[in-house]
Amino acid sequence: MAFTLPVFLCLASGFLLVSIGWQSYRSFADRVFVGSLSAGFGLGIFSVVYFLSLLLRFTHPILVDLAVCAVLAGAFLLFRIRSAPATAGDAEQNHRQPPWLHRFATAAFAIALAGALYSAAMRVLAYPHGDGWDAFSIWNLHARFLFRGGSNWRDGFTSLIPWSHPDYPLLLPADIAHFWTYLGHDAPAVPAIIGFVLTFSTVGLLFAALSLLRGNLAALLGATALLATPAFVELGTAQYADVPLSFFVLASIVLVCLYDDRPYNDQPASDSPPAGLLVLAGFAAACAAWTKNEGLLFLCAILAARLITLTRRHGSTNWIASGRRFLPLLIAVVPAFLLIAFFKHSIAPPGDLFSDPSTTLHKLADPARYWAITRWYFKGFFRFGRWLLVPGTILMIGFYFACGKEEHVEPQLGIRTSVLALALTLAGYFAVYLITPYDIYWHLRFSLTRLLLQLWPSAIFLFFLLVKVSPVRDSRGATLPLPLS
Amino acid sequence: MSESPSSDRVPARTASAVLVFGLCCLLSTARLVIDAPSPRDSPGDIARRSDQRFSALKAALPERGVVGYIGEPEIPALADYYLAQYALAPLVIDHSPNHPLVIGNFPDSSSKNALPNDLKLVKDFGDGILLFANQVSAINKDEQ
Repeated sequence: MAFTLPVFLCLASGFLLVSIGWQSYRSFADRVFVGSLSAGFGLGIFSVVYFLSLLLRFTHPILVDLAVCAVLAGAFLLFRIRSAPATAGDAEQNHRQPPWLHRFATAAFAIALAGALYSAAMRVLAYPHGDGWDAFSIWNLHARFLFRGGSNWRDGFTSLIPWSHPDYPLLLPADIAHFWTYLGHDAPAVPAIIGFVLTFSTVGLLFAALSLLRGNLAALLGATALLATPAFVELGTAQYADVPLSFFVLASIVLVCLYDDRPYNDQPASDSPPAGLLVLAGFAAACAAWTKNEGLLFLCAILAARLITLTRRHGSTNWIASGRRFLPLLIAVVPAFLLIAFFKHSIAPPGDLFSDPSTTLHKLADPARYWAITRWYFKGFFRFGRWLLVPGTILMIGFYFACGKEEHVEPQLGIRTSVLALALTLAGYFAVYLITPYDIYWHLRFSLTRLLLQLWPSAIFLFFLLVKVSPVRDSRGATLPLPLS
Repeated sequence: MSESPSSDRVPARTASAVLVFGLCCLLSTARLVIDAPSPRDSPGDIARRSDQRFSALKAALPERGVVGYIGEPEIPALADYYLAQYALAPLVIDHSPNHPLVIGNFPDSSSKNALPNDLKLVKDFGDGILLFANQVSAINKDEQ
């Protein structure tokens, strides 16, 4: 009971939030989509609620959780009454493949899923406190400060222990502490379960989103590729924050693509896609920023990418069309900016990244650093997943050349926004390595793999949106043009 | 817009690509399964090195505040320091002897010899864990 209630409240709040923007549960993909998003968004809400409860000294989190659920339920009912169910083209049913091919892809997916579940379960049992220093020296340590610290919880966010990165955002620690508060003790199972759930929610989200946009074969292949990335499953159960971050990055990108590139965009303006999808995309980006500092970079990247692609699409004169596609995203991220700014300014000590500004210019002007990072990016591109024999990145390049690009698709607004956002994020990582106060090789060695894994699920998603896996047909068998937004 | 019914079929090249893609993915799944650790490999390693090891010391320390820390000088010993902090949170453990109370953490007990002179042993908790009083820091704190 002590664990069931917070799990229910967490999932319920996530479900209610997701349902404000997504109201179709007809297909299997719809249900997987809503279920996966609900788990992650519920954790996002749970984290913020706990942090605000600490700040405002609310001692009964259950009352706050119930109040949040009630507010979201009210909003859910309001939106449900006012809006018709989302009318997405059933892309899932419009893709046809030979049965044997579908059966093969399903079998490969099932084997990859079983292998990943087995590996994840073994890792959770073998390393109940996480696998690696970051688990106990950063994330779970912060959770202990929040949970055990009582009214002095801020003690842990001190410059006396800079190695614990007290400036890192609190999505995971606050989530863990929230569940511990219900349990009454700091059970190591909680961070392990959160890591496990977010790892497989990422897979579920990738599968469902591809199924909705490109059909089952693309969904099965994409999910198999992610499940068969050993480093992804290993990191997801290590109780690090990189896979949770990858979930929120993927969620944001998926929601932007669903908003821009689904069939309802061919309908009249009155039936334009629900702005709730963009609000949810903004919420996901905000959760990314509340998970890790790299998420803050991604948040800025997706806002910039959105502005750039909208300006190119609509020109600088059609502000109304651009605003309609940008403001819901912006509105959703403003509270996160404020929350993170408050945390960084009033609670956390300064981070280590800009601790040595005097040498920053010198580092920026050093070509050797550019060359070193470029080489590591190149090597990392082939190595980061710990694949056996054939790197997943090579496999995808080969797959692209064999199958080609989707013939009927010009890259859509959502895809363009997402690709640009990922490119800007990668460029941001590059800039961080340039000015890092640490030894550059040490920094690259211990972080580049994790940074690439943060973007890997999104990269797989965008890849399968662009590659031609199967003809897309309507119910009469005619080839469907993919929607132009 | 429409195409002939034959285009409903997936080209052989695409089908081959799907097969190769799936099989290559399964290779890495095999690695994931083979490399999966057995729960018997490292059961409760972190708990043993942190919560269990420091439980007696924790009862002797204040619940809140900052205490000092000294340990073995090598880089690998940093993990011992981090695990001490993990076990003793919400107490903040500053890696410095300049505090009235100082924790000594010497899992390899041979390195206990080079201790600062200001430190006076308060209690030896065994397993390389010691609690010291720093008399100079205590006086300075009183004066402040």
